[in-house]
Amino acid sequence: MSDEEHHFESKADAGASKTYPQQAGTIRKNGYIVIKNRPCKVVEVSTSKTGKHGHAKCHFVGIDIFNGKKLEDIVPSSHNCDVPHVTRTDYQLIDISEDGFVSLLTENGNTKDDLKLPTDESLLTQIKDGFAEGKDLVVSVMSSMGEEQICALKDIGPK
Amino acid sequence: MQGYGDGGDELAQLLSTMHAIEAACSSIQMHVNPAAAEATILALSQSHHPYKTCQFILENSKVANARFQAAGAVRDAAIREWGFLSSDDRRNLISFCLCFALQHADSHESYVQAKVSSVAAQLIKRGWLDFSADEKEQFFYQIKQATLGTHGLNVQFIGIGIMEYLISEFSPSTSSAMGLPKEFHEQCRRSLELDYLKVFYGWARDASLNVSRKIAGSDSESLEVKVCNAGMCLMLQILTWEFRYNHNGTKSINIFSAGVRNDNVLNNKTECILVQPGPAWHDILISSGDIVWLLNLYAVLRQKFSIERSWIDCPIAVSARKLIVQFCSVTGTIFPSANGSQENYLVQLLSGIILWVEPIDAISKEIESGKSESELLDGCRALLAMATVTTPAVFNSLLKSIRPFGTLTLLSTLMGGVIKVLFSHNNEEETWSWEARDILLDIWTTLLAPLDSSGSGISFPPEGAAAAAHLFDLIVNSELKAASASVYNDDSDSDYLQPSISAMDERLSSYALIARASMDVTVPFLARLFAERVSHLHQGKGISDPTETLEELCSLLLIIGHVLADEGEGETPLIPDSVKRNFSDILEPDKHPVILLSSIIIRFAEQSLDPGLRTSFFSPRLMEAVIWFLSRWSATYLLTREEFNNKNDGSLPGSRHQLQSQDSTKTVAIYFSEYNYGKLVLDAVVRISIITFTAYPGENYLQGLACHQLLHALVRQKNICVHLVALESWRELSNAFANEKMLFMLNASHQRSLAQTLVLSASGLGNSEAANQYVRDVMGHMTKYLVDVSSRNDIRSISEQPDTILSITCLLERLRGAARASEPRTQKSIYEMGLSVLNAILVLLEVYKDESSVVYLLLKFVVVWVDAQITYLEATETATIIGFCMRLLQLYSSHNIGKISLSFSSSLLNDAKTEKYKDLRALLQLLSALCFKDLVDFSSDSIETQGTNVSQVVFYGLHIVTPLISLELLKYPKLCHDYFSLLSHMLEVYPEMVGQLNTEAFSHVMDTLNFGIHHQDSEVVNMCLRALKALASYQYKETAAGKVGLGSHASDPRNPNGGTENRIFGRFLRELLQFLLFEDYSPDLVGSAADALFPLILCEQSLYQMLGNELIERQANPTFRLRLTTALQFLTSANQLTSMLDRVNYQRFRKNLTNFLIEVRGFLQTK
Repeated sequence: MSDEEHHFESKADAGASKTYPQQAGTIRKNGYIVIKNRPCKVVEVSTSKTGKHGHAKCHFVGIDIFNGKKLEDIVPSSHNCDVPHVTRTDYQLIDISEDGFVSLLTENGNTKDDLKLPTDESLLTQIKDGFAEGKDLVVSVMSSMGEEQICALKDIGPK
Repeated sequence: MQGYGDGGDELAQLLSTMHAIEAACSSIQMHVNPAAAEATILALSQSHHPYKTCQFILENSKVANARFQAAGAVRDAAIREWGFLSSDDRRNLISFCLCFALQHADSHESYVQAKVSSVAAQLIKRGWLDFSADEKEQFFYQIKQATLGTHGLNVQFIGIGIMEYLISEFSPSTSSAMGLPKEFHEQCRRSLELDYLKVFYGWARDASLNVSRKIAGSDSESLEVKVCNAGMCLMLQILTWEFRYNHNGTKSINIFSAGVRNDNVLNNKTECILVQPGPAWHDILISSGDIVWLLNLYAVLRQKFSIERSWIDCPIAVSARKLIVQFCSVTGTIFPSANGSQENYLVQLLSGIILWVEPIDAISKEIESGKSESELLDGCRALLAMATVTTPAVFNSLLKSIRPFGTLTLLSTLMGGVIKVLFSHNNEEETWSWEARDILLDIWTTLLAPLDSSGSGISFPPEGAAAAAHLFDLIVNSELKAASASVYNDDSDSDYLQPSISAMDERLSSYALIARASMDVTVPFLARLFAERVSHLHQGKGISDPTETLEELCSLLLIIGHVLADEGEGETPLIPDSVKRNFSDILEPDKHPVILLSSIIIRFAEQSLDPGLRTSFFSPRLMEAVIWFLSRWSATYLLTREEFNNKNDGSLPGSRHQLQSQDSTKTVAIYFSEYNYGKLVLDAVVRISIITFTAYPGENYLQGLACHQLLHALVRQKNICVHLVALESWRELSNAFANEKMLFMLNASHQRSLAQTLVLSASGLGNSEAANQYVRDVMGHMTKYLVDVSSRNDIRSISEQPDTILSITCLLERLRGAARASEPRTQKSIYEMGLSVLNAILVLLEVYKDESSVVYLLLKFVVVWVDAQITYLEATETATIIGFCMRLLQLYSSHNIGKISLSFSSSLLNDAKTEKYKDLRALLQLLSALCFKDLVDFSSDSIETQGTNVSQVVFYGLHIVTPLISLELLKYPKLCHDYFSLLSHMLEVYPEMVGQLNTEAFSHVMDTLNFGIHHQDSEVVNMCLRALKALASYQYKETAAGKVGLGSHASDPRNPNGGTENRIFGRFLRELLQFLLFEDYSPDLVGSAADALFPLILCEQSLYQMLGNELIERQANPTFRLRLTTALQFLTSANQLTSMLDRVNYQRFRKNLTNFLIEVRGFLQTK
């Protein structure tokens, strides 16, 4: 039990940390990993060996969660990899400014005005059209390793 | 059909058409406006009575392509207009084609001749049932004269060609489509097989026989050779005919079994195709002495062409060999029983074939220096055919009249030679030796496999055992050599053991069969080899590189594993019979070779527990081989109970002495039983498994083997669990799993398996109280952790940290594993386990709504837990679960309906879709599990007492889930399967709830049902049919009782506004009839289709009458019309069918429908 306790405590002060070490062998497809200092989602894990009687190594293919670029890495499976801390926050959309920035309502009632509209065409039009039609839109903002981006949209509907 | 050229107009007309066709043909060849050219040609074949024009073109055109197209046009038009042609016209057309093909036999454009021949063959078949025997005789007289060479060699060649086309037209698998009932094709085939096939064979034989006399004097390109080859090809074609009417019986034509061969026992031995033409063929195939002629012919060829190297692969040599191999496969009732005629026949064949394969060393040397290998390979195939049709003893004795040794010795020598070459090539694939080895291994498997399965009563000749021992020695040594040589190959495929095992599996099982044919030699031999390698390892420790020896040990472990034990394939494997039968004279266990061999390996495996030895020898790969061996071996030998089951005295003796005096066949089992060393070995196995978890970090594959194969197999057996839970090492494992961080480093799915294994082992504890306590001890900390995390105030901020995600993921996997291990005895504690985290799950579902992988795990745990628990729960507990599931469904849908995600990467977007699909599947499974409560319920009181209605939850769930399921998603086979199993389940159990669905959901359900009926997976179709049955019978019963039934959904038939199309049952009746009569489906579906059709007919009787009449009216043929009318009548009236929906009536209707389909599908379905 003491181990569990210890395990638990390590997170209490972890808010500051951007990445966590984790054994390469435990990282699964659909998990996150840092490759070349970029936060990635793992889309493929394969293992191979260093020679017939050698040790296993993991081959990761990751996709950068912000720019969609593909990155690859090979790590011995008993070694540690960095895993990024990825957070998502929902905000209500209150305004879209002319210069492409959005204005979002935070949970404590302040506004957050430093985010740009997404560059993805389909999401962009959905946000703009939805907003123009006066729908109540909630956007999901994903952030990791000091970057953030709008990643999803939901219409909570005219009440 | 009359002569042409009377009037100048007509001639001009013909000429202009011919020129148009010629122009079209050449413009196609030069790619000038091909569309227009094709249209011109198509117009000819679609025109009315184009025969005269076509004949004119065939006889006058100088452009071969135009003649070819004209022949095609004759075929198309004649097949289309056949019914309108007079019988003279029909005959004349066929005669024209035959004459044309034969008269122009020396033409250089042989493809035109071939096309015309094939047209003749198709037209003969088209008219087959209409022509009288005399008419057929006329055609065949012409062909026969040609075939026998009366008009010269060229004509003979064409004649044989026409016969080939005829036979392939009459064989259903190769026949061309004519738009006729399948029954027609079947009748033609039957008529040909019974009345003509043997005659044709005789002509083919005579044709080849006559020309073969002249072959000796001619070169390999001569016409004689060409004709002889064609003759033999025709003989081969006839011998590969699927003989179906060989028992003189008049089998009725059954369209369902058409195409399925029902040769019984013999055929499942190998893939070798057997030729079973029946007794009628004895005179022409056996007593005619054809094989002597054929072997002589081949001998002549050998001699004549031996100067040229390539002769072996020239067409006539190839077809002669193929024909000889085919002759080896002749078997069955053609041989009069029990007078050795088949043996004599085979000996004759063997005397010719032996020259192809003997002496193997000289032959293989020749092949290595460039000679073709096909003769040797065909020799092996002939031996395979012989092995398939004989017993091992007869097979062995075949050679004895020619050589001082038996066929098995020949086989062993042959394989030895091949293996020598194979391994000297260092595992290059696709060489001849590779192929020869595979064929030879097939022969051994064919001979030995029936021996290995117990009680067959077939004995293996002693000579064969010696040959097998010798061969096995050679095989193992070669495999070891190959293994040590492969160490430095950088071939990444073979890095892991599993791929190499599955690639080698078939070969290894053949090796094992060979080894088991002479256990007394091979087992001590293997023990010696293994011990040698181990001591070699120790001697070289720290001095030399052990890698080669390690690889040899891996290889040996695989071979020994296969020799000693069978794969269980989900069942408990028994000790192989050959282990029990051999060594029956050895009573002392320490001299028993199998015990000695097993002990050597177990002792070696135990060395991995020593850290020093482990780092120097036990590489992950060797460890994989060790674990693989241990799991295979222990499933068969460790603490097995089978040997004691038949004891009558009941009191199990405690002393070793008494046990030893038991039947000697049980020596091995007793040695590894609980009374001797069983428990010690079990302890070692557990300790070795723990080592793989702790000392091999990150070796996922190895750990997976230990979890999924080794430990999982151990806890499957109750008697092993009893000892497991008493072991100190097992306690250490469960302790470490519950409390230590170390095992969190395992792959999450391995943790799931481990949790399942540990919980399952609780069944070894004496009483239910102890078992439940054991589960609580193992799982308690984990549930507590989950509850603690989910109730923290800062859950939102910590939840997204990777290490929190990791531990929650691992814990959920473990809980899921434990839930999967639910058994009646531990049900209580597992219920408590789940109950304690229900709230935590809802919190986590909210917190992790964007972390799809965690969401999936949460859903998956709930599914498994509910599924395992639901049938045991009491009313209050059920109410809790139902309430929980309701909240879960609401929460999930509030997160997911109307959400749009995006990503820069399309592959991430696809992943997101796949995850959605997995979630939906889990939800469907959850709903199915809930449904199950109403079917199977072990609780003491009824759930209604609590006012809980399962159906309401399930239908609420269906309302949530159906909008998310599109027809697009149903293309995922697993989701589709789950969806329809839920649907059929629900409609069967709660048809009354369907009426309460809203219109949108209802029509969605009906659309998907309609989709499902046309699905290619017969299980999905089956489930849809069950759903339909349930729905229709509910409706029929309700309306008969004067109630509303499905009410507005079914659209009252008396309602003038609702046409038949609006009524769902009418729609399905139509669909189902269409499906049953005209589409292809598995015969297994007929039963459930009958069950659905019967209530549908009752619901929509007037529509059914109308559809029946429509069907009858569509039949132009009066015979078929009458048959259909009668069959339809029988369908609803035979067997005292009444309109009651009870079991008896369903049974009757099933019978009626089967008979109905057999009767009518033959002419309704066309080809």
